[in-house]
Amino acid sequence: MRRLIILALLLAGMGLILPLGARGHGGQWLLTFGFLVVAADAVGRLATGFRIPTIVGFLAAGVVFGPSGLGTISADALRQLAPVSSLAIALIAFLAGAELRWSELRSRGILILKILASEMSFTFVAVAGTLFLLRSRVPFLAGTDDITAALFSLMFAAIAVVHSPAVTMALLSETKARGPVARTTLGVVLLSDVAVILLFSAVLALLRALSPPAEGAGNGVSMLGLLWEIGGAVIVGSVLGAVVALYLRWVRRELFLFAILVAFFGAEVARLTHVETLLAMLTAGFVAENLSPHELGEALRHAMERSAAPVFVVFFALAGAALEISALRTLWLLVMPIVIARLVALWAGASLGARWAGATVDERRYVWMGLVSQAGVAIGLVTIVAEVYPTRGSEMRTLFLAVLAVNQTLGPIIFRLALSRSGELSPPGGAPSDAASAPA
Amino acid sequence: MSPALILFLIVVGAYLAAHVAFEYIGKRLLIVSGAEYILLGVLLGPQVAGIMSADLLKSFAPVTALALGWMGAIIGSRFVLKNMVRVPGVTYRIAFVESAVTLLLVAGAELLLLRWLFALSTPRAVGPALALGTFAVASAVTGIEFAAQRYGGRGPVVTQLRVTASVNLFVAITTFGILLSGNHPAEASSIRPLTTTEWTVITIAIGVVGGALFHLLLGDEERVDRLFISLTGMVILVSGAATYLRLSPVMASMFFGLLLVNTTRRRHEVTAALHRVERPLYFALLIVAGASWRPSAQPAWLLPVFLFVIARVVAKLGGSRLATRLNDMLPVLGPEWGRALLGQGGIVIALAVNYLYQDTLALPNVVFSAAIFSVLLTDLASGRFAASVLMPRGMPGGAEAVATPTAERA
Repeated sequence: MRRLIILALLLAGMGLILPLGARGHGGQWLLTFGFLVVAADAVGRLATGFRIPTIVGFLAAGVVFGPSGLGTISADALRQLAPVSSLAIALIAFLAGAELRWSELRSRGILILKILASEMSFTFVAVAGTLFLLRSRVPFLAGTDDITAALFSLMFAAIAVVHSPAVTMALLSETKARGPVARTTLGVVLLSDVAVILLFSAVLALLRALSPPAEGAGNGVSMLGLLWEIGGAVIVGSVLGAVVALYLRWVRRELFLFAILVAFFGAEVARLTHVETLLAMLTAGFVAENLSPHELGEALRHAMERSAAPVFVVFFALAGAALEISALRTLWLLVMPIVIARLVALWAGASLGARWAGATVDERRYVWMGLVSQAGVAIGLVTIVAEVYPTRGSEMRTLFLAVLAVNQTLGPIIFRLALSRSGELSPPGGAPSDAASAPA
Repeated sequence: MSPALILFLIVVGAYLAAHVAFEYIGKRLLIVSGAEYILLGVLLGPQVAGIMSADLLKSFAPVTALALGWMGAIIGSRFVLKNMVRVPGVTYRIAFVESAVTLLLVAGAELLLLRWLFALSTPRAVGPALALGTFAVASAVTGIEFAAQRYGGRGPVVTQLRVTASVNLFVAITTFGILLSGNHPAEASSIRPLTTTEWTVITIAIGVVGGALFHLLLGDEERVDRLFISLTGMVILVSGAATYLRLSPVMASMFFGLLLVNTTRRRHEVTAALHRVERPLYFALLIVAGASWRPSAQPAWLLPVFLFVIARVVAKLGGSRLATRLNDMLPVLGPEWGRALLGQGGIVIALAVNYLYQDTLALPNVVFSAAIFSVLLTDLASGRFAASVLMPRGMPGGAEAVATPTAERA
């Protein structure tokens, strides 16, 4: 009830304030940002009352108040807030990397790789197969020959295997889960980002070779560019991580300010050097954490989490505002089979992969549930396809965004359920849960 | 070079300057710091190196607005009514009289000079004159607190100084907020232009509603990170709303902070959270202020600047003495306690930046220059001023006994 009053007061306030001011004048950015933080946070906490993760509430707030909903946040305001999303991604990636300890990677690396390989393979085949079977109903496949249809189905599937480090990290921060299911899921999600880029580039290269773009637009991704994007990200991230470790060792002051600057600077350097931001910051976090004494790394992580909190709220709200709900309404008959096929493939692939790797019972049962969410990285990839194949690519983008809308909403709910069932959710106000699962 | 990288380099530079170079220099020369960030901004700005261009400064406007609001919230959080009612009424009377004398004296002198020097009509000259008057009223708290800690934080003089500094800030911010309300541009969308009173009420209402929303948002939540999100969101929203309406974000946030600190059970956590973010925003504000400075195109623009500095010193010393005499407190406080109020602090820079960004008020560069010059001058010695008042009698030396507080705050 209280949250509803907050939202009503906020909307009433915005309704009174917006006509009195001058749009386009300085201050609108700040007003929009403040409104999003407060409104999304209120909706997020409303969601927890229904045992739904707060980030689903943030997404819902974005949908409700964004351009496709009430329009309180205009499309122009969304564009102005884009730097906040970049900052959030940098913070999330750094925090995610800082969660990984080298000793843990050594002990669980093979497990993670096997699960990743298995679930990606299953998902890739399942989604491609579903699209191919439904090709007469798919806008960008209808009327094409079988080979072209198969290639574009593979292209779509190569993007559909993407997961969401942002959602995974946000949920783990919210729940303080640290058990085997949580950590294995995080490991799979983080490594999948690298794998997806490699897979995407390979499929795109194949597509361009066998079905050259008629419009000749866009350059796509070159092999050298791809190598630099990934390899360079590791190099840049390692250097940044080493600098952070040195700072923690020798200066150790103003960690709150330093945390924001690391994310800011890291994202900017990644952009200027044309490397993958997420991977660069992930590497930076990993190197910083593993080169620093434990307590210092922990202190920086806490400072970063504190500074990141309002940024995360806005990030997910912006993601929600960008969801194509209207596309979902028109394409739902197509979207649901794809979503279901992906879910089934994730379950089968992750379970089999976990069994193959000798994982615990809980990991076999529940890791797949943490892989459902999808992220903005996928939007970037499908946009690349749209640049190479403007007509088919934009239709593919529309369908993908509709699928993303469902997965981004369902994913956190399912993942939270997994953490709950595996006993890894910490009690309210309690310590993080490291519940041990039964051995395989 | 991208704006983000520039901002990064600036803040890193400021940080290093604060903790390495200036701390060393400050200890050597006993300077209360804060001024060096302004100088850094001047060096980086369009007037000298040009690293921070005018367009780049414009892009920092949201950060500047947030810094203004955040400072306002911190100042508002000082007014804890439960503690304030324990202070004798005469202390407040003295403080208000001193504030009024300073405001009227400096504003009046500047009004006369600006009218004559720049051939402005009285209505046009009132804006800059009143702004300068409000800047003159503001007194820095940090130098006083530092000296009080050094020489014993009790006694009527210390209490008088603390209360007067707080009242000075309240009067300065409120008067400045009313000034902006009175010079609000008419909006085409409104049926009739709103009056000064209405805009002032709106400014206060933004802060009060923000405080109420904060309590609704936080509820019974105990976790510190939730408090921080709620607090950050509300300060951003309040600052943004006031800035969007071209009102004073400092005033709106001051009332937000005031309401917050007097209605929450978690006052200490709230103030700790406010202070945690204060420093980076304060650094950024000072640097942007320095970079935003440029000499006025008006001839003889230095005259109002000099008058401001001189008139302010006279008003502070004379006004405090007069207020003490009128309230028969000379035997208790002595005639010289007003010297400790000469430091101005960052709030003046905040108000001056706010003035600079308004396009309805006259002589923005003259007013801004006066504020910067005055802060640079008084911040250099505000620690010594306060120490000279509070140092026990017979204690050898003033300067040697005073260490240097860094990062001067409002």
